[in-house]
Amino acid sequence: MSFELVFQQALNGLSFGALLFILASGLSLVFGMMDVVNLAHGAFYMLGAYVALSVVQLTGSFWVAMLAAPVALALLGLLIEPLLLRRLRGRHLDQVLLTIGVSLVIVDVTGQLWGREVRSLSAPPGLDGSVALIGGVYPVYRLFVMALGVVLAAAMAVVYRRTRIGMLIRAGVEDAQMLGALGVDTNRLFASTFATGAGLAGLAGVIAAPVFGIQPGMDTDPGLLYSLVVVVVGGLGTLSGAVAGSLLIGPADTFGKVLFQDVALAVIFAIVALVLLLKPTGLLGRIRVAR
Amino acid sequence: MGGFAKNELAAKRGYTYRLTRRQFLVASSAAALAACAPGAVTPTASSSAAPGKELKIGLLLPFTGVYAELGNSMRRATELYLKQSDQKLANRHVTPVYADDANVTATGIAATQKFIDQDQVDVMMGVVPTPLAYGIRNAVHAAKLIFIDTNAGGNALTRDTTNCTPSCKSPYIFRASFSSYQISYPIGDYLSAKGTKEFFLAYANYGFGTESAADFTTGLKKNGGSTTGNVAPPLGNPDFAPFVTQIKNQPTKNVYSFFSGADAIGFIKSWNSLGLPAAGYKMYGAGFLTEQDVLKEVKDLANGAITSLFWAVELDNAENKKFVADFQKQYPLLPDVFTVQQYDGMRALDEALKAVGGDTSDKDKFVKALEDVSFKSPRGDFAFDKTTHNPIQDIYIREVKTQNGQTVNTISDKIAKVTDPGK
Repeated sequence: MSFELVFQQALNGLSFGALLFILASGLSLVFGMMDVVNLAHGAFYMLGAYVALSVVQLTGSFWVAMLAAPVALALLGLLIEPLLLRRLRGRHLDQVLLTIGVSLVIVDVTGQLWGREVRSLSAPPGLDGSVALIGGVYPVYRLFVMALGVVLAAAMAVVYRRTRIGMLIRAGVEDAQMLGALGVDTNRLFASTFATGAGLAGLAGVIAAPVFGIQPGMDTDPGLLYSLVVVVVGGLGTLSGAVAGSLLIGPADTFGKVLFQDVALAVIFAIVALVLLLKPTGLLGRIRVAR
Repeated sequence: MGGFAKNELAAKRGYTYRLTRRQFLVASSAAALAACAPGAVTPTASSSAAPGKELKIGLLLPFTGVYAELGNSMRRATELYLKQSDQKLANRHVTPVYADDANVTATGIAATQKFIDQDQVDVMMGVVPTPLAYGIRNAVHAAKLIFIDTNAGGNALTRDTTNCTPSCKSPYIFRASFSSYQISYPIGDYLSAKGTKEFFLAYANYGFGTESAADFTTGLKKNGGSTTGNVAPPLGNPDFAPFVTQIKNQPTKNVYSFFSGADAIGFIKSWNSLGLPAAGYKMYGAGFLTEQDVLKEVKDLANGAITSLFWAVELDNAENKKFVADFQKQYPLLPDVFTVQQYDGMRALDEALKAVGGDTSDKDKFVKALEDVSFKSPRGDFAFDKTTHNPIQDIYIREVKTQNGQTVNTISDKIAKVTDPGK
């Protein structure tokens, strides 16, 4: 591989990684806080993409969609947590099963409402062009995605470390019962965490649509599949884990697929297996005390 | 059901008869077994092969999963044809039996077995993925069930192969769609004969993609052409930038590709955003690369792409114009190639049934009638190759152009009467 080629593929890998981070951050947040592997995360991502499609068709603006889809999904999360998940609190496996059920319903309803054709979204005006970079032109949208990934990670880190809500989340991750005993309304905290997770999935739906497209099946691949890989490799339930996971998986998937194309699908799973073998908590995972 | 009857009798006689749990289990399982026996469900099925009786067509299609829209298209075609023929083929009233394979091979195989054992359908149609067509081949063949494949294009389904691996032709299997040879070999042959001899390949890394790439290469080599390398993303790959970047960093400007649906959209968008048209690269491919489902999303980004297929919605013949108009009267959308395949399958079945007076009881006679079918289809002249049961059809060379704000496949040339070599 020439230098130009390595450089371009590294950009591809990093922008893919940024997309994966946006996709996986919500899953990681919900797991860290609520100890629930939300298997409806991929379906939320899919619904976000379809909501964005409709909003763009109605208003003609990608930016409106970029606001509307996360808000719509957050509202859905705000309904699902108190109505369904809360009733099973503490029963982790039952909660996981419940999220599978939720995802099946969302996927079928999405198919009914929007049809089952393959759709796509264009990058917004201003970001739909290309700029000259080493070795040729590069799409502006992918650079924007990279910047957005960095901004989102930074914003999440600030909220997590420097704000009151972040403090509550950290406390909740450590010991939710004790937090409740200290007078914090954990119901509200859990509901808003779940809503934020769903909103992040919705955001991923909008941002990924111009690159990954919108089609039936996107809820599992790339949706759930890649976000699970990222959080498992990076470390379950920590923000830094999601960052590390997407920084590793994005480029690894990109280079793996072009260098070893006959075993393309096996590359990232080989990484998952290796990481789990050497460090079962993931690269930056915490050791969880069984509760 | 004996247990319950006895119970009623006992009640009538004025003394109570208490059903024990064991008796209940015996009685209810006997009832369940009786209900499962095919004869009990469709008592008239054994005589349904006679003319004038109901004709059951089992349609195995995906209505959920990635290929759901293909299933919907083919269902629309079936319903349109039946509406136009007053729900009758020859003198037989038609009952379509739809089954959803959900793009899962095991589900499709089970549904086929149900068509054979329980529904006892007279004819089977449909099947979108090639692995499913291969998977049901032996069951259909053993049951002597007439099966008209209306999509799956894997070559082996209508060929002689060693040990019938992965599949092979059967007297009872016909194909109204295409073999992957037909959409790949002729364009390779055509382009190399015209002097474009060097190609780089880009294809989805699964059975059908690799088959298409191999047939295209064989076509190229016939006139001294060659390929210089390839990229092969997995089927359903989310991000195409890495593969298009590889293409951009190699010198062969002509690229032959096999992608469809979401993959085709991802490929064409990356192709443009990474600046390949400006760098002098030119896109060629099997027709699915630029069918309507793709063009309506990528629009003029696909301009200049040259592809081959046996049909295009713009095809200028009387049958196609009528077909497109009829379809649009019924549905608020343009027909696609999958609609045509299913519609032609129905037409072939209709013609064969007319030839035998609606009598499907003599299988050999019915097979012969299907082999003799020939008609003017929206795609041009349609006939089955008698040795393979694959269609003999014209292959069109098409170029994507944007005219009056519409991005369409314009027909630039025709390769007449292409048939599959059969081995």
